[in-house]
Amino acid sequence: MLTLALDIATTAAILFIVSAGLLIVFGVMKIINFAHGALITAGAYAALVGMRLGLPAWMAPFLAFMVGGLLGMAIESVVVRRLYRRPLDAILATWGLGIVLGQAVIVGFGREVQFVAAPVAGTIGLGGTDYSLYRLLLVAAALAIGIGFTFVLNGTRLGLSTRAVILNETLAEGLGINAVFVRFLTFGIGSGLGAAAGALITPLASVDPNMGIPWLINAFMLVMVSGSALSTLAVACLVLGGMQVVISTFVSPILGGLAIAVLAAIALRLRPEGFARA
Amino acid sequence: MPDLLTPRRRIALAALAAGLLVVVAPWIVDTYTASILARAFFVAIAALTVDVLWGYSGVLTFGQSAFFGIGAYALAMTFTHVGFDAGGIALAFGLAVIVAGLVAALVGWLSFYHGSTPLYASVVSLVLPIVLVQLIYAGGETTGSSSGLVGFQTFDLDLETWFRLAGLATVAVAAAGYLLLHSDAGRILAALRDNEARCSYIGINVERLRLGILVVCAIVAALAGLGHAALGGVAAPENASFVFGTQLVIMVALGGRGTLLGAVLGALGIELASAYLSGSLPFIWELIVGIAFVAVIVLFPAGLIGALRRLIPGDRADAAPRLQTAAPLPRADRDMMVEARGVTRQFGSLAVLNGVSFSARRGELVSLVGPNGAGKTTLIRCLADGLERTGGEISIVGRPIGRLPPHRLVAFGLGRKFQAASVFNTLTVADCLRIARSRRDPMSWFDRSPVLSLPQAARQVIEGGGLGDRLGDVAGDLSHGLKQALELAMVLALEPDVVLLDEPTAGLTRAERSAFGAILTDLVRREGLCVLLVEHDLDFVREISSRIIVLHQGQIALDGTVEQVVNAPLVHEIYTGGHVPTAETAS
Amino acid sequence: MTIKRSAAILGLVLATIAGNALAADPIRIGVPVGLSGANSVVAPGVVQASELAVAEINARGGVLGRPLELVVADDGSGAAGAQKAFDSLIFQKKVDVLISMETSAARNAALPIVARGKVPYIYTSFYEGRSCSPYMYVNAWVPEQQVPPIVDYFAGELKAKKYFLIGSDYAFGRGMLAFTKAYIGKTGGSVVGEEYLPMDGTDWTAIISKVKASGADALVTSTAGGAPNVTLTKQLRAAGVNLPYGNLAVDEGTAKGMGGDATGIFISASYVTGIESPANKAFLAAMQAKFGGELKTPNDLTVPQYEAIYAYKAAVEKAGSAKADDVLKALGSVAVDGPRGTIAMSAQHHAPLTMYLGQVQPDGSVKVISSFKDVTPGAQCPDLKS
Repeated sequence: MLTLALDIATTAAILFIVSAGLLIVFGVMKIINFAHGALITAGAYAALVGMRLGLPAWMAPFLAFMVGGLLGMAIESVVVRRLYRRPLDAILATWGLGIVLGQAVIVGFGREVQFVAAPVAGTIGLGGTDYSLYRLLLVAAALAIGIGFTFVLNGTRLGLSTRAVILNETLAEGLGINAVFVRFLTFGIGSGLGAAAGALITPLASVDPNMGIPWLINAFMLVMVSGSALSTLAVACLVLGGMQVVISTFVSPILGGLAIAVLAAIALRLRPEGFARA
Repeated sequence: MPDLLTPRRRIALAALAAGLLVVVAPWIVDTYTASILARAFFVAIAALTVDVLWGYSGVLTFGQSAFFGIGAYALAMTFTHVGFDAGGIALAFGLAVIVAGLVAALVGWLSFYHGSTPLYASVVSLVLPIVLVQLIYAGGETTGSSSGLVGFQTFDLDLETWFRLAGLATVAVAAAGYLLLHSDAGRILAALRDNEARCSYIGINVERLRLGILVVCAIVAALAGLGHAALGGVAAPENASFVFGTQLVIMVALGGRGTLLGAVLGALGIELASAYLSGSLPFIWELIVGIAFVAVIVLFPAGLIGALRRLIPGDRADAAPRLQTAAPLPRADRDMMVEARGVTRQFGSLAVLNGVSFSARRGELVSLVGPNGAGKTTLIRCLADGLERTGGEISIVGRPIGRLPPHRLVAFGLGRKFQAASVFNTLTVADCLRIARSRRDPMSWFDRSPVLSLPQAARQVIEGGGLGDRLGDVAGDLSHGLKQALELAMVLALEPDVVLLDEPTAGLTRAERSAFGAILTDLVRREGLCVLLVEHDLDFVREISSRIIVLHQGQIALDGTVEQVVNAPLVHEIYTGGHVPTAETAS
Repeated sequence: MTIKRSAAILGLVLATIAGNALAADPIRIGVPVGLSGANSVVAPGVVQASELAVAEINARGGVLGRPLELVVADDGSGAAGAQKAFDSLIFQKKVDVLISMETSAARNAALPIVARGKVPYIYTSFYEGRSCSPYMYVNAWVPEQQVPPIVDYFAGELKAKKYFLIGSDYAFGRGMLAFTKAYIGKTGGSVVGEEYLPMDGTDWTAIISKVKASGADALVTSTAGGAPNVTLTKQLRAAGVNLPYGNLAVDEGTAKGMGGDATGIFISASYVTGIESPANKAFLAAMQAKFGGELKTPNDLTVPQYEAIYAYKAAVEKAGSAKADDVLKALGSVAVDGPRGTIAMSAQHHAPLTMYLGQVQPDGSVKVISSFKDVTPGAQCPDLKS
């Protein structure tokens, strides 16, 4: 029972880490960044490069955040900026960028599976059961991301401008807020978070050119259900991630793997007004 | 000189030429190219359905691969487990059509409901192939799991025959699609893409129509998948995969969305090029496709065909139809047109409308005024859409609206004009009006009618408003004032008893505004319409209204004649921000 | 070393001379492999093995006086790509034979095209078994050959009774574990858990918790190659699972890359680099000489490719021509000596193989614990003659 609870908590934490960047972009720009999966991959490769350069393992997520942030800002200013009025085209263009990014990774790093060591290894005893220490560490990372960005949104000038743009862009512009810059920065931060997520999950997984893609669909569905608030995203991760774990444990891991996508689609159909949406 | 090349004849000629090419081609191209193209034709048919859904009706779908896969597996599973005989063949076709149709109906029910967003439909289309592929993997011997099904007996035709069959099927689907989509009724798909809300408010059941389109496209894609499996002798999970679904979208985007021809060229081009190039440069090839795709989406959203059209400008406009006056409908034998009792609308704990009751009769022009946030537009919404209000009763022409969606209320005799001009931006003025008439004059799915019947009132607005000689123009190119006039004409084309107008004069010049006022008062007087008008401009309201209702903080503050309201001190207090003690009725 | 290098250079020179002498009418070998997609990691090694075999054979005068020519095509590791690749090789490039290591989906999609083109096809990848075509021969292992060494060892030496099985949900994963389950039953053991994750799934959390709760005393896994396999191993180790662990899908190169997490894993293969035979040593030296720093470590997927080209050579020479019908008749009866030993595809188009049980050492190398000579593939294709 304790193991189940820990599985749910850590799975929700991983989902939250992976979707937070996507949510921030969607919240401000009403655009789904389908390059998010490729950015996760890019973050994992950043961690790999960091390890090869001999940087300490705790620096990997920060390095990945910088790499992803720069990539995101480049993507925003070259491609996404032109597509604000065409949100469906933005999905397609970012998906295309994801393909390009994935192929570029292959050209640069090869196709084979590579590895990044975890900063902490082994298990820890918890109430009679032992549990993976790194997974527990990810719960802390998820909390740090959630609290950190809630603080940025509520406690800083940038956060204030961002919320103004979310609420009413025309009005925000009238108040002298540079919405173009806010979106540029938001996309950069969201992309950076995606890449940092890649660096955070890769010690549990592997580094390969397609590693981000399976995460994309779940992250996307979670964001659709959550709308634009980090708090609702946390709830969605707990509920849907919890369903995934419970179904995997008691029914079948195959159905569990589909749980988030299917349940989120049905939830959106039954209670569209119950969730904040575009 | 009469135009001998009508669009219908032109497409027939083009189809004939393409068909001939398909018949002759196997004698010219080598075996390898022929076998690539034969398979590519079936992919092209699936791409055509993506174009209809995305390019024409505006639903971006990643899920057509799933229906393609359903068709492929219907054939492979039947021939493997039941056998290859007449019964098996019939069963395969039957399964493909029925399963694809049922799944499409389920997906349509999930995707399209009153208030759904296009993004949500894309989400569902994304989930579908993922779930289906998972089922195929889990299917063991029945589906062949990841290895697919192979080794079943199938039609023993030589490659040339397959090539011609597949090619002619592609030409037939493209030509039939073109005829349907460019018929009068087919323009509704473009109308859906341009402006779904407007479609609802002219009485089109948007959800059912979208569902119907999806079912048809699903069945066509399933039959394409069935052909693909019969030709290749294999059904594999990737035929149904999300990746193939995105490839179909990429093909349509590169070829040119919303053109049909672009979908075919995109599919054949990418299949051929990848067959020749991907072997020698597998990674660079995907990189090139990715970059080309992004570039086309950003820079040339109209794709290859769109770029060609820009290079070769031609007269593509259809001849505008001749206007006719429709015979007037018998009017409802009632005096009471609108009755609202205790209407409330809450957003969470905030009550935007709080117990609004009023009525309006035939021949009245009632203006709704009040400061920003008083609830005027919300009241209009509640009147036009049974799902909007939180409480209270509303009757239109004597019939309670219950929880009915807008398209049902149109049948009650309700017409609504939006605040911002809401027309179909890529359609011609004539097509906009014809679609607005679709409830009265059923439209042809095969042809374009040379005449357009409009009720007297709508015709008056068109001809009086300066649109009479611009019927062939694209609505999106009209000036703001002309768009407003067009929308009003579209609403009047419904022959409504009650018309709701939300700030119809916003952004109009003074001259346009008084012309508009004249039209309105004339309509009310001569046709006996009941008009409810939201308006800010008190001078305008005073000129045209027969009665004025003042809304304040979600309640009716005053309801009376023009003189009563204009002279009431209450109105001045409200407009200058003063406090209002209690609501009162002065009539 | 210098002698070998000189020999290699001499070989190259001879190859050039022989190539010139035999310039007319080469025998073309089609090699469709997954240069992109799931197989793209192993495909370069397959191509290298093919190149070495062809270079060696041409250096010694080719086959019946004709040189061999390789035609490589990308099958995208899947059905659609395979259809294009086989169409191209058979109808456009008009190859005389197809020799390839591919996914089961690609192989299945290709078989109807092979039948239409009536070209011999040697399949060189281990797979879940029972794929039969009169045009296809297989020289790699099937479950009947790979599973018994591991289960026998677990049941005999380690006294395992209760097994937990984990796989990816696809034909190979399910096929291998279905056979494993049946075989465990024969040894008197029982399966206490059998779980699958979707093929691209990499989050094994719930399954690992079940393993820990199950009380199993051995673990056998058969996942998709690459990420799913690696993530499962890493997550098992992170969760502190240290049961005897037989992995049916890991190769030496991957095990080495995983570092410490792979230590102790049992593998069963028809080829490991540590085989102590002159043929294997010569093969490894030749690979090293030809590819140097670019060399992909030879493994159970690339070595059969190398041997299959020699098997084809033997069949052509026995038949006296490269005509498809003659070669197909001869393929089942010729035997060739290669790095894996003497191999003939004589058992219903499949090959009896010597299997090796190995265990991954802390330094990433694979130590051979025991070997099993000429393990029969069993009745794979009873409907095929020969």
